[in-house]
Amino acid sequence: MDNGVVTEFKGAEAVVEIYDDIIIKHRRPKGYRVQELDLRLRKERTRSEAKIQSDARKAGVPTPIIFDINAFSITMERITGRALKFSLNEKICEKAGESLCKLHLAGIAHGDPTTNNMIYSEDKVYLIDFGLAYYANTLEARGVDLHVFFQTLASTHERFEALKDAFVLGYGKRCFDVNEVVDKVTEIKERGRYL
Amino acid sequence: MIVLGIEGTAWNLSASLVEENGVIHEVSSPYLPQTGGIHPRDAAQHFSNNIGYVIRELLSKIELHEIRAIAFSQGPGLGPCLRIVATAARALSLRLKVPLIGVNHCIAHIEIERWKTNLTDPVVLYISGANSQVLSYRAGRYRILGETLDIGIGNAIDKFARSVGLQHPGGPKVERLAQKSNNYIAMPYVVKGMDFSFSGIMTAAKEALSHESLEDVCYSFQETAFAMLVEVTERALSQTGKSEALLAGGVGVNKRIQEMLQMMCEERGAQFFAPRPEYMTDNGTMIAYTGMIMLKSGIETPIGLSGVNPGFRPDEVEVNWITE
Repeated sequence: MDNGVVTEFKGAEAVVEIYDDIIIKHRRPKGYRVQELDLRLRKERTRSEAKIQSDARKAGVPTPIIFDINAFSITMERITGRALKFSLNEKICEKAGESLCKLHLAGIAHGDPTTNNMIYSEDKVYLIDFGLAYYANTLEARGVDLHVFFQTLASTHERFEALKDAFVLGYGKRCFDVNEVVDKVTEIKERGRYL
Repeated sequence: MIVLGIEGTAWNLSASLVEENGVIHEVSSPYLPQTGGIHPRDAAQHFSNNIGYVIRELLSKIELHEIRAIAFSQGPGLGPCLRIVATAARALSLRLKVPLIGVNHCIAHIEIERWKTNLTDPVVLYISGANSQVLSYRAGRYRILGETLDIGIGNAIDKFARSVGLQHPGGPKVERLAQKSNNYIAMPYVVKGMDFSFSGIMTAAKEALSHESLEDVCYSFQETAFAMLVEVTERALSQTGKSEALLAGGVGVNKRIQEMLQMMCEERGAQFFAPRPEYMTDNGTMIAYTGMIMLKSGIETPIGLSGVNPGFRPDEVEVNWITE
């Protein structure tokens, strides 16, 4: 790479090198887990992330274009914008709902739709980090996605209810069974309780 | 200020007298099932038979008028056990004419450790029999960043252990067996964002026994399940930008999970803390201590609101004793 690393970002499970136009996501070994498990998780996640992300893009979900894949790394388009974790209002939350709904209509669950993994750019919310994504269109899978998103809202953002409502509004524009999915979230939440 | 606290959510009936400088005295009467796991009715019967002795022992260490409040574990926990403890706490509060304070068991686990480790603002991995959560304080509450979607890690291990004839509690026995192996067998690894699930791995472990040794299965069960917990803890550190990780709850006594968390924290430059075992497992001191800081910040529980809450979530509690 001759344009040099602009900056490096250390996420929870990968290191992302950010260049001018591209980013390279490396899954580095985790010393705390046994090697067999470590290799399995890093390989599986790299492969499935690339495949699912390109499928999502084919279905019209705003996601970065993938340029290259190796055993533990993916090279993709750089989206310039702000992560929702740092800039979030009702309008952006509504767009996030639209994007996640589009993904779900394509039969894909994101697996980790936190505000860290969404970027607002060109009036769209891009979904990034498909490392935990999987193919599923069940209410359960979609409910878990919404549950994860609502939890990051509740745990790291003020005005939780207003943002949640805006998200549900955006999600319901094309996902007409939005109420069933929201009911599922309540059920999932209760299931995790001490019983 | 002296506060008497009573813990009794599941297996350990324990009461303690605490003051600012430390613990005055703790008396415990753990319930150990003869066969099987914790039976709620038997556990409550044990509590009922022993609560008188526990409280009398404790009261003999102090003048009654020195007690400023009675704290009790209001939930989460097994309803029949919680009711015994709540009844005793109400009686003491009325008799001594001091305030009653209902304490959330999960929060008590965190607070006692913050007291013992002097941590300010950690990400907490709280793992016990029934509870498995990743928590962190923000804006007046302990927020649940991630949690089990089905059963707690301790229950998963204990149930697996029971199915192979190991007596309750199975956790320490599985840990010892796991130390004899380093042959890893693939098991289901289920992490969804910061949530996770253990029911699949429990089933897979039982099935693996038909063609693998018990030591190998115990090792692989621990390696897989603990890796899931460490991964979500790391994810929580990354999401919140915090740099301290704290381990709480009875399963935290396991040396392997401590070692894994330590390695994860070293790799990312965070601090890891695990307190002494007696503060990680259920104890009366944590209830008394948490009751004391709640009382100091003006929180009391009127008798009318002192009903037990078996599904009491830590994020329901308004935390006004932490200043940002």
